[in-house]
Amino acid sequence: MNNTSKSLAIINAKAPYSSTAGKDALDIALIFGSFEQAVSLFFQGEGVWQLIKEQDGSIISAKDYLKTFAAFEFYDIEQVYVCQSSLKERNLPESFHIDNVNVLNQQDFAKKLTSHHSILRF
Amino acid sequence: MTTLHIVRQSAFNTNDLAQCMQVLGNNDVIAFIDDGCYNLQHNLINSIERDKNIRLTAIEQHASARAIAINEEVCSKITMNDLVSLTFENDRVITWQ
Repeated sequence: MNNTSKSLAIINAKAPYSSTAGKDALDIALIFGSFEQAVSLFFQGEGVWQLIKEQDGSIISAKDYLKTFAAFEFYDIEQVYVCQSSLKERNLPESFHIDNVNVLNQQDFAKKLTSHHSILRF
Repeated sequence: MTTLHIVRQSAFNTNDLAQCMQVLGNNDVIAFIDDGCYNLQHNLINSIERDKNIRLTAIEQHASARAIAINEEVCSKITMNDLVSLTFENDRVITWQ
């Protein structure tokens, strides 16, 4: 990461279908990615549900924005971090519907998060 | 490098404060505003790690509107202007809402 440019961290803290928070966070990440701005995604608490495999929003008539996560690489969004204790609390495995996800313990998650200049939480 | 954590929700209702506490760094500041003032009544604030030298603050108006007493040994009373100053004094801000 270029030290002279500012970096953005986005924390996802909500489950995918009950609110538009996850979609809003995704939109911002993709806009930043389009303009070649450094952006990292963090998943904490209920936000970890967004990464679980085999979800299908169409069953409940919800727009399935999660499929767009597969485009992260195309937008140069390569830094995706998940809170390990949030996964454990929910008995979720460390396998996700996208590749290159980094599972971090509490300490590393905090350290990585606060290495960014600006932090938005959804 | 310090972070200002603006907490706007009650821990009786959401996990926001617990998540905030997971990422606290040394000398960080927490500002309780809006329903975040209810956290002053929650046991969770007793488990904030003392060795990290975390400073607790709360908007006095928001707390008194909710009849929440601020124990000034634990938490300092601030105004909206102080909150603005805190955003400048710290390197970054996370709003937990």
